[in-house]
Amino acid sequence: MSTLQHFGKGTLRVVKNYTKGYSDTQAKVRDATSNDPWGPSGTQMNEIAQMSYNQNDFVEIVEMLDKRLNDKGKNWRHVFKSLTLIDYLLHAGSENVVAYFRKNLYLIKTLKEFQYLDEYGKDQGANVRQKAKDITNLLSDESRLREERRTRANMRERLGGSSRN
Amino acid sequence: YPTRPVDKDKAEQELVVNIKKATSPEESAPKQKHVRKCIVYTWDYHSSISFWTGLRVQPILADEVQTFKALITVHKVLQEGHPVTLKEAHGQTGWLETCARTVGHESPKGYGTLIRAYVQFILAKLRFHRLRPEFNGLFEYEEYVTLKGVDDPNEGYEIISDLMGLQDQIDGFQRMIFAHFRGSANNECRISALVPLVKESWGIYRFITSMLRAMHRRTTDTEALEPLRTRFSSQHYNLRKFYYECSNLKYLTGLINVPKLGQDPPNLLDRGGA
Repeated sequence: MSTLQHFGKGTLRVVKNYTKGYSDTQAKVRDATSNDPWGPSGTQMNEIAQMSYNQNDFVEIVEMLDKRLNDKGKNWRHVFKSLTLIDYLLHAGSENVVAYFRKNLYLIKTLKEFQYLDEYGKDQGANVRQKAKDITNLLSDESRLREERRTRANMRERLGGSSRN
Repeated sequence: YPTRPVDKDKAEQELVVNIKKATSPEESAPKQKHVRKCIVYTWDYHSSISFWTGLRVQPILADEVQTFKALITVHKVLQEGHPVTLKEAHGQTGWLETCARTVGHESPKGYGTLIRAYVQFILAKLRFHRLRPEFNGLFEYEEYVTLKGVDDPNEGYEIISDLMGLQDQIDGFQRMIFAHFRGSANNECRISALVPLVKESWGIYRFITSMLRAMHRRTTDTEALEPLRTRFSSQHYNLRKFYYECSNLKYLTGLINVPKLGQDPPNLLDRGGA
């Protein structure tokens, strides 16, 4: 754990994870989609992707993503990073993730008009809108998604990564 | 019902708040976060009844801005809500007509004419969807619908004519909105009504283009399609002008990508995409 996480909001998140009784899986998703201005890291996303192959973890992951996706404008980073994580999971996570977000596509589609101007008048909503568009297009194009998932799986194999079960 | 983790009682309560906030008296755009919740509700519960009920119990008809914002919200929910929303909307035409009847002709903020035109447009849209339930609220492209019309040229001809009728209505309404801009004031509320119109006109345009192309491929009698080609061409120029004018509205371009049409209408006899 990096020292930064012991300060400020990181600490609060750790406390919240504890007091609200979040499981390890939920805490991982919360960390990956936090308000910190960096990340989610590849390691974090990969770990969550592997966890999505377990049915219980899968349910907890989408539950937490659901909360984050529906967060308010001020927490646009929650929304943006959830979309980033979803994009990753669609490529490297279990088929359940693909099925779930295809069925609930409207959750993402309706973020195409997400709006938020920060205190400096900067349009932070644009990031969310673009990401929502990209994912909507990906989910609407079955063959492209298949192809991208296959390429990714092949690459992992060639790089000698452990195969998923 | 929903595959998402949700709580129906809580959702109903929140829906009431979202409708109230989307139709608040501020002369601004209906906030998208509240409109979005209304849309998501219809998908979660495969029903829009609570949405309509919620609108009817809000005291919005006394205020022209609130009425106009309610119509924008309705339009967006019809476009992006669960398909059942379009079906259930047929039972709501009475309420829509009341919106048009209630507002005075000399409304102080000048929304009266716009409200009446908006209601006319929404009713025309609902008539179209009642006749052709295979289309979704945004006319998003589905190959099978195109082919279905093409197999029967008469049917295809009629579908295209009806779509063009709707496109003309959008064009008339958008011109009226531009004509009602007020020089000094911020026009955000009026501009926000253009957002669903840009999306809808683009869906219709793409559909007409690909369907006309398909019909030209299937028939040897291109002469018979001449009236549609002429009308398509004039709609292309109108739409191009509409999008050009929209592209100068900063508030609008910040929200959606306004499509850019070529100088001339696409050639319907070649095989390119829409």
